[in-house]
Amino acid sequence: MTGRETIESIVVVMVLIGTVLSLLSSLGFLRFPDVYTRSHAATKSITLGILFILLATFLYFLFVHDQVSVRLLLGIIFVFLTAPVTGHLIARSAYRYGVKPSGAQDELAADLEKAKKRASALDK
Amino acid sequence: MFQTLLMASIIMLTISISIALYRVIRGPSLPDRILALDSIGYNIIGIVAVLCMMLDSSSYLETILLIGILAFLSTVALCKFLERGVVIDRKRND
Amino acid sequence: MTLQILLNLLIAAMWMMLHDTWNMLTFAIGFVLGAIILFGMRRFFPAPFYGRKFWFLLKLGWLFSIELLVSSIVAIEQIIRPRLNIQPGVFRMQTRMKTEWELSLLANLMTLTPGSVVMEIAPEDGLMYVHAMDVPRMKKGIIRTKDKFEDVIIEVMR
Repeated sequence: MTGRETIESIVVVMVLIGTVLSLLSSLGFLRFPDVYTRSHAATKSITLGILFILLATFLYFLFVHDQVSVRLLLGIIFVFLTAPVTGHLIARSAYRYGVKPSGAQDELAADLEKAKKRASALDK
Repeated sequence: MFQTLLMASIIMLTISISIALYRVIRGPSLPDRILALDSIGYNIIGIVAVLCMMLDSSSYLETILLIGILAFLSTVALCKFLERGVVIDRKRND
Repeated sequence: MTLQILLNLLIAAMWMMLHDTWNMLTFAIGFVLGAIILFGMRRFFPAPFYGRKFWFLLKLGWLFSIELLVSSIVAIEQIIRPRLNIQPGVFRMQTRMKTEWELSLLANLMTLTPGSVVMEIAPEDGLMYVHAMDVPRMKKGIIRTKDKFEDVIIEVMR
């Protein structure tokens, strides 16, 4: 029975690491000043935390039940693929929506104006 | 011991959901709210995974995929709405 | 390359049928056997053996998981610091990527690397606009990471 206890302790450590990561990144929601810095917290640490939890679940079902659960693998791949996409989408649409970044340096604003002018000139 | 620690991790994930919920209600702008909703989706995925281990059954694992797909699609639709004012584009020329 | 992968899958399925055991382990053994057979017969195919690309794909995954770990540590460190001391900002940078697949792969990877979220891409000018958590301290590191990723992506895609 000691083999099972070893597996369980590894799984619990991984789950706790993932949980603490996702809790800390939620704290980042409270502390950071604007959407863009918050999206840093949301995309990176939450993704890593959830990946830790899902990997722990995968290991648990692999070693305790001798069961390779393909659904879980699909879920891991899906989270891995979609998390950066949502981060990029939210940052982009927030900028187009008109939320100003809080820092001093902003090299995008002038270029976006230029591109819009070029596009409207093409329309006419 | 195993069950207790898993319960503790579920409680911590719930706390992080409630923090994100605060951001959904208070959030100064719309993108803040979308970001918080997205992270709530990820935290729910974590809770379901931990619950599977607690109940020792693999029959809830489909839920992970379902919630992941729903969270992603709703985020994409909301971002699209923010950017253009509509969810489905009728003009297909750009 | 597609032909080789299809043949390899076919050999794996064949191996499973011959054994009459339908699980992942037999499939994996069949896949490895098929890869060995294809490697032995590689001079009969017009395209080079796909193992090289596969190797670089593995390298990309490895590099990426390291960067994800580092970036989470950086973000967590900034969250739990008692006083926020950051200067966020948006800056532009050049990219060598051309096709859509390469661009989206690079943007996805960059979004999960330390302190950077890709905000806008201008493919015709070869520019990317990146939001960084702390511009003066991180700009060099971000550009170095991007160069590293670009080298591996070019190996995989071209």
